[in-house]
Amino acid sequence: MKRVGKGAGLVVALAAASLALAACGGSVNEASSSSAAPEPAESSAAPADSSAAPAPADCGSWGVAMHAWVGYTASAQVLSDVAREKLGCDITQTTLDEAGVTYDAMEAGSVDVIIEDWGGGRWQEWVDRGAIVEVGLNGNVGLIGMYVPQWMCDEYPDITDGTKLNEYADLFKTPESGDKGAWLEGPPGYTTIGEKLIEANGLNFKIINTGSEAALIEAFTKGNDNKEAVLGYFYEPQNFLAKVPLCRINFPANDWTDAAKASGLTDYPETPLVKLATVKLMDSGSPFATLVQNFEWTNEDQNQVALDIESGMTPEEAAKKWIDANPDKVAAWLEGTGAS
Amino acid sequence: MDVKAVLRHRWVQALIVLVVWVVTATALKGVQTQELSTSTDSPFTAVMRDLAASIRGNRTESFLFVYVFNPIRTVISGFIEIFMGFIAVPADGNLIPVLGWFGTLVLIGFIVYATSTLRMAFFSMFLMLLCGMLGMWLLTMETLAMTIGAVVLSLVIALPLGVWAGLNDRVMKVLRPWLDLAQVLPTLVYLAPLALVFLIGIASATIATMIYAIPICIRITAHAIKSLKQGPIEAAESAGSTRWQVLTKVQLPMAKSTIILAVNQTTLAALSFVVIAALIGAPGLGKPVVEALTIRDVGDGVVAGLAVVLLAVMLDRATSAAVSRDQSGYAAADAAKVRRRIGLAIFGVLTIIAIYLSRYLLVFAVFPERLDFKEPVAEAANAVSDWITDNLGFLTVTGSEQFTIFVLNPLQDVLANSPWWLTLTAITLLAFILAGRAVGILTFVLLVLVMATGLWNDTMLTLAMTLIATGFVVIIGIVLGVWAGRSARVDRFLRPFLDAGQTMPAFVYLVPVLALFGPTRFAAIVLGVVYAAPVVIRIVADGIRKVPKESVEAAVSAGSTNLQVITKVQLPVARRSILLGVNQGLIFVLAVVVIGGFVGAGGLGYLVIVGQSKPELAGKGLAAGIAIVLLGIILDRIAQGRPQKSPQGRH
Repeated sequence: MKRVGKGAGLVVALAAASLALAACGGSVNEASSSSAAPEPAESSAAPADSSAAPAPADCGSWGVAMHAWVGYTASAQVLSDVAREKLGCDITQTTLDEAGVTYDAMEAGSVDVIIEDWGGGRWQEWVDRGAIVEVGLNGNVGLIGMYVPQWMCDEYPDITDGTKLNEYADLFKTPESGDKGAWLEGPPGYTTIGEKLIEANGLNFKIINTGSEAALIEAFTKGNDNKEAVLGYFYEPQNFLAKVPLCRINFPANDWTDAAKASGLTDYPETPLVKLATVKLMDSGSPFATLVQNFEWTNEDQNQVALDIESGMTPEEAAKKWIDANPDKVAAWLEGTGAS
Repeated sequence: MDVKAVLRHRWVQALIVLVVWVVTATALKGVQTQELSTSTDSPFTAVMRDLAASIRGNRTESFLFVYVFNPIRTVISGFIEIFMGFIAVPADGNLIPVLGWFGTLVLIGFIVYATSTLRMAFFSMFLMLLCGMLGMWLLTMETLAMTIGAVVLSLVIALPLGVWAGLNDRVMKVLRPWLDLAQVLPTLVYLAPLALVFLIGIASATIATMIYAIPICIRITAHAIKSLKQGPIEAAESAGSTRWQVLTKVQLPMAKSTIILAVNQTTLAALSFVVIAALIGAPGLGKPVVEALTIRDVGDGVVAGLAVVLLAVMLDRATSAAVSRDQSGYAAADAAKVRRRIGLAIFGVLTIIAIYLSRYLLVFAVFPERLDFKEPVAEAANAVSDWITDNLGFLTVTGSEQFTIFVLNPLQDVLANSPWWLTLTAITLLAFILAGRAVGILTFVLLVLVMATGLWNDTMLTLAMTLIATGFVVIIGIVLGVWAGRSARVDRFLRPFLDAGQTMPAFVYLVPVLALFGPTRFAAIVLGVVYAAPVVIRIVADGIRKVPKESVEAAVSAGSTNLQVITKVQLPVARRSILLGVNQGLIFVLAVVVIGGFVGAGGLGYLVIVGQSKPELAGKGLAAGIAIVLLGIILDRIAQGRPQKSPQGRH
């Protein structure tokens, strides 16, 4: 008993001593933000060096939402790095689930920007409450759809016609779907209308809720390698398509944007992807708000960065490569921020 | 034989109910199954959806939020962030937290030394160094900081409550239903309501961890106080001590080592929660594990999972070493005491030097990349997983398909694809027969509530998976448990696997299981089995070991074969442990089968997950959470059979 008491006393003394040490100046922290100090070459986790960058206006600290898919990572990384290097912003990246979870985080103030949202207005509730604003399009165009491995389209050319899908339903039977074809639906959080498509078109398929993108990628990879029949949800731009060729099933064209109002008779529309930001950021007058407003690039730009990430570069390296190769695009984004 | 006597036997009655049930279900397949498509709301889920929307809408204005929930959130995150800032998260623009990695490492060693032994201190430092070498230093520290913070908060609440409940039976009576409920509550369930009220982030994650850890701590503490020998207490009372004096001078010191055990279990519970908590914004090692699922990177997930295991081993061994030191400490000689005090002083000085160095020298401040072996480990994990998929794929795919066709689908036809009233009646009757009238009535009421949520069909899908996985778990648990219970060598061999299986978060093997079995219900069943089997093996082995040696020896000398000894002596004597094992297995399986929603298993788990990411389906997610709780209580009560209490806490 007594001895443990001594031990605890020592711990307290030690904590006090280390606090006292912490209060002394001149640690690596000060060194890292003073320009005279040698560059910390070894540090991998070092945050942006705030004093080294030119600061045209005080940018402030902002949070960028990170979503799991590589395309998103590419866009968000490029945005974050331009903000850090050209505007001297302090950017925190936070990994979150799509949609509701992230909108809530924005309302709570821990995240300020979603650089790519596929949702077609599902954020309206948060806009109405004055937490989030739409900041226009990011230039990427998304296309969701139902896909099969390429070999199936080669073998059955008219399978791409969604209205003839029933003729092939037997091919897609699995123990999971029983006497119907298996329809691998998109992960939770992604925009999906599979139930409506099946019902409205009278398709003899059963929804299998895959639960994660990993499950879809596994299924397509297997379907491609072993020539198994797979019908599943997927989307472009996605560099996975460069590795495993997929072929899209087409339903009659349509232009709905809110999945809740889709009739189910028609296909997923091409979706121009939207930037969302907090009202707090957009009203702040920070140059970062201007950068988010100006940010725009093509599917091709995004795929370049995404492919570099997939082939082993870190997101930072891939983003830097693209930023260095596209000074004119970056300059256009920086217009009005006072930086160059 | 007398037919009436046979009919009175409960197993015969149960069999009759089963046969009638299966025959009727086959005849009425697909009738009134209450199937509901994912995007459709039932009346109840619609109410829940509107409720969720109104909570979201009121978070900034309503009195309750402005003056209660939001301050709680701020205080809790502030509290955790103190720990974070000290060892894990650099302040804005800083390179390192208050302490660099080396300072933290030596400080951990010092604290472990002060509470247990020098050997344990070096062992702990070694394990933490390994975490750093896995490239996970800062993430491990985030998890450690969050765990410490959550444990401190849990103990502040749970220890006094536990002591009170140990002293006062009436308090225990009030608490018990809540403790029981917490024990059957799958962790995934309370994430959504918490996130709704406290938003995504550290506060929600901490509160979720506390909800998980507090009941375990209360239970052990209350047990510690209650089971003390009455002699010394009565002596103190008769010597005229006040109640407070008896408590602080006699009861608490006597119960001390069990209370340290409570701290140990609380810490492990909090740590085992980190990955689940990452789903609602907990920082640390959970993040890469969860991300591994979305971007399908087995390697990163495994590396982070390994770090979780190392951290768990460190915290477990360090806290249990504190227990054993506490028990043996009093006998130590004076010379040893002096030596130890000198040792502590030297270690303390070294710690201060290390902290100083870690703040001023880059090598000691930021974990050096030269020591980072994350890549090779991740690649090795990927290679193993690829090899398994490529070479064992044909086996697992055909096996799982046959199993699904011949076992899972028929069971699901009976449970889910038959009229709801038939299933409801049959389960109620079985509960009556197997677990008595009280449980039968409870089961009936709870099933009617499940029906009222409108998620009957999904609940039955989940039940089918749970039952099958439990079947596997029980078979594996009894076979391996008996084997390990009879042979110390087998036990030694199995132990590390059981340890790893119990601490490795279920999410880590989600991706490999997915790769092997595809998005299927079978994948979810495998998850449940992998997660629950270690616990059951442990409980069964423990029960077998406790069988008195004399009875085994008597049987052997009477010429029984090994098989006879097992079936005639060991299994019957260990019956209670085995029943407890089945019960625990069932609850563990349910907790993980729900996670199967991530790998295509559908059912309630999927609804919980989808409800969290699609605001328009939030109502279904919340209702599915309620249905899981109801199902958990039903299963727990039926599996306990005739009334008896399970002393074992859920790990």
